[in-house]
Amino acid sequence: MTLVKSRPLSALSLIVRHEARILVRDRTLPLVCCLLVLMVSYGLFVGLAQATLRERMVAQVLKHEQETQTANTGTLQSALAGRSALVPFSNPANPAAMAGTLAGRFATIPNAPLAAMAIGQSDMMPNYYRISYLSKVQFMYDTEIENPWNLLSGHFDLAFVIVFVLPLLVTTLGYNLLSAEREHGTLRMLCSQPLSVATLLTGKIIVRMLALLAIAVPLPLIVLLLIRPETRGAEQLGLMLSWSALITAYTLFWFAVAALVNATGLSSSTNALIMVALWTTFVLILPVTMNLVVGLVSPAPSRTELASRTRVATAESLREFENLYSADYRYASDPEALLVKGERIEVPSRMRAFFLAKQKVDETIEPLLERFDHQLLQQQRLVDRLSLLSPAILVNEALNSIAGTDSRRFVAFKDQTEAFHERWRRYFSPRILESRAMTVQDLSSLPQWHWIEIPASETRSSIWWRTALMLALAFMVGGVALARSSRGSAGF
Amino acid sequence: MFAIIAAKDIRELARDGRLLWAGGLVVVLMLVALAAGWNRQVQLNGERSAGQALDYDAWLHQGYRHPHDAAEQGMHVFKPEPPLGVFDPGIGPFVGSTVWLQAHRQSEVKFRPAQDATGLQRFGELSPAWLLQVLLPLLIIIIGFNALSGERERGTLRQLLSLGVPARSLLLGKAAALASCAGLLIAPVGVGFAVFLVARLPASERLDVVYRIGWLAAGYGFYLGFFVFLTLAVSALVRSSRAALVILLGFWVAATLIAPRTASEAVSMLHPTPSRLAFDDHLSHDIADAAGKAWAAHFGARSQWDASLPLSKWGAALKVDDEAGYGALDDNFGALWDTFERQQRAQEWVGLVAPVVALRGFSMGLTGTDFSQHRDFSTAAETQRRKIQDIVSEDLVEHADPLGNAHFTYKAGPELWATVPPFKYQLPSVSFALAHHWTSLALLAVLFCLSVALARYAVSRPLMR
Repeated sequence: MTLVKSRPLSALSLIVRHEARILVRDRTLPLVCCLLVLMVSYGLFVGLAQATLRERMVAQVLKHEQETQTANTGTLQSALAGRSALVPFSNPANPAAMAGTLAGRFATIPNAPLAAMAIGQSDMMPNYYRISYLSKVQFMYDTEIENPWNLLSGHFDLAFVIVFVLPLLVTTLGYNLLSAEREHGTLRMLCSQPLSVATLLTGKIIVRMLALLAIAVPLPLIVLLLIRPETRGAEQLGLMLSWSALITAYTLFWFAVAALVNATGLSSSTNALIMVALWTTFVLILPVTMNLVVGLVSPAPSRTELASRTRVATAESLREFENLYSADYRYASDPEALLVKGERIEVPSRMRAFFLAKQKVDETIEPLLERFDHQLLQQQRLVDRLSLLSPAILVNEALNSIAGTDSRRFVAFKDQTEAFHERWRRYFSPRILESRAMTVQDLSSLPQWHWIEIPASETRSSIWWRTALMLALAFMVGGVALARSSRGSAGF
Repeated sequence: MFAIIAAKDIRELARDGRLLWAGGLVVVLMLVALAAGWNRQVQLNGERSAGQALDYDAWLHQGYRHPHDAAEQGMHVFKPEPPLGVFDPGIGPFVGSTVWLQAHRQSEVKFRPAQDATGLQRFGELSPAWLLQVLLPLLIIIIGFNALSGERERGTLRQLLSLGVPARSLLLGKAAALASCAGLLIAPVGVGFAVFLVARLPASERLDVVYRIGWLAAGYGFYLGFFVFLTLAVSALVRSSRAALVILLGFWVAATLIAPRTASEAVSMLHPTPSRLAFDDHLSHDIADAAGKAWAAHFGARSQWDASLPLSKWGAALKVDDEAGYGALDDNFGALWDTFERQQRAQEWVGLVAPVVALRGFSMGLTGTDFSQHRDFSTAAETQRRKIQDIVSEDLVEHADPLGNAHFTYKAGPELWATVPPFKYQLPSVSFALAHHWTSLALLAVLFCLSVALARYAVSRPLMR
């Protein structure tokens, strides 16, 4: 320590070197780093497995769609040529059958390129909807099949490692930054050197933080860049940059907290207790309490009301199209009636009734659904505001939006699906009402689903302001800590 | 002797800020969780029973209509919230509660609350069970980690042992102090809530709920007792309070936060859940298969719309079609639900290292918010749907089929609607839950005994090192 010169920078680098040597020799740092490597790798593995699963699902759905289309075209051609017998519900020439049971049309949402980084809401929200003339209430609330117990437990993904575990590792490395020196009696000696406590604290933090970040940041990025070619675009690299910045800011925040706790001059055990209490408050208690508050202040829409209203609307539409529903039905005994005549085909009145009734149900229920969507939007806005209270929520939401697994993207998917469903119906409506037969050309020019990605600029700005906020918070806490420690209240 | 030790420790803890602050926070959170949960439950149950009554009423008064169209309107039934659901919502947020009983569709339980919730839901739900499972062990660790190591560091252990205090009394005294601190925090709120809850229940349900509360108390007692003795054991075994704290906190993090997630990941790989697409495809394939066979056997026809199947047999065909489907539905849904239950059972073994996993299953089972009881409700709802479907088909065979092509002009009236009984669902009794979850309780008891043995071993070694 006699080598310490008065220049703070060289003192800092000396502390960094010295501290690194100690941490490696007493095995704390290697142990913590190994743990982090293990957890980050496992988290990434889980994320990759889930992302692959979802990719496969979308691929399967698209294959299914392709097969149905080919089969429909085949059936139509052979039916028109009179080679196969016709069945009213599976006759592709019949627009009502094509709009409904034969549709085989899906709305799908592809994974965002960085999906493996956070599972977010993707294990619960559907990534495809089966489109037909059915009412929205009948297909928009289908969910992916998953064991509710697993949904309750949550996933061990990268976001979990960062939001929950990383601060704990920071705590392990940082709860006794100054208190250990004091307890060993070395703090007095250090302070006799031309060295400020603030510099000492900064040096110690730099070593620990660099060690953690050197694993947490590059490891997932390199793995993703190597095995997922779609992550190599300029936009993805930008997102990865913001991801790194966010994680750095979050780690810095927790180290700043550790510094502040150490600057109070209490014992190592007390420091550890305070750190764990803060972690519990920020990461466990605040989020669940806010979940409760959000539910109280801006309650989710009543699904019981939706159920009752749907039933009423269904009953009304059944009554309205009563005559169509109860018309004579002779197609089973008179299959000739199902043949295409000219460009026309007789749409069985019951099938026409189904189509019209479902359409009517949606028209009636639409205002209610709009109110519900608005309510959910309000809820999300409240969460965005409340997330400022807990760094854990702030970071979690940002991580999900980088991975494209946040609720915003799924809401956009739902909205676009509703629009497509409407388009699908509008396409068939005149054909069914005017009894126009479907032709082979029609089958290849049916409305196509295209997912329009939500604007990247929006995601980017929301992530960057969260990162900036996190950094500001970290610097504020860190500033207070350094100021306190240099005032000599570190209590040696 | 042990009472003196316990009294001294309790006094010490009461004067220490740790217990006051952490305990106060737990109590406040518990009260908030109970109040919010109670409020929610009253509202939901009211809404649901009103909704169900309304739907049944509409069914009875739907006027004259073709029975098949009546089944299209159908009716909703709702899963009632079990009385103790306030204590532990269990898988509640992740399963729906609404079933629309319609013709030709297996009644799937819809509208998961978590779908309507924000991303915050994934952090967990503030419930008394969550507090007891996650935060209270932490509290025990925080107030107890230096129970023995602290005495050694202060030099008071030397004095105690010189007085001839037996190690066993020391252990029991310390354990009694820790346990009564934890008990003081939860017992008043717990007993108060239990009395309030039981008093508001109809007399017929009271006994069942009291039994449930008793079993829950046993389960949570073992769990918290495990943490009490583990804390003391570690405190006696390691060299310093600091080391004891670090080890115990490490165990807490690993066992309550990391293990449940890792377990569910591992088990999903062991017994994979099918995707919805695969499940739906398999189901429709099976139904089509079964229906094809049934048609061939009954009518010698290959399909529903075969020319040899005139509309005068439409009702009969529908009946055959439905009945053929029942088996396929039972098989497919049964297999899916078995997979879920297998996944959960496999996780129970993780309870050996992470007691929270065992306790969670036991707690939601005894509360009535676990999967087996959800399955019971789903099955009851499906039985009601089949009842409606069978009544409708019978009526069609009898009245509509003779009309030939005018089949759909037939209209049934209120007499037919009244033959469908209202849906009454009885929550399974406590013995149902125990039959499913006694292994978890046994596991918790074993863990408790192990921790007691470890603590006894720890204090039987020379304490002065």
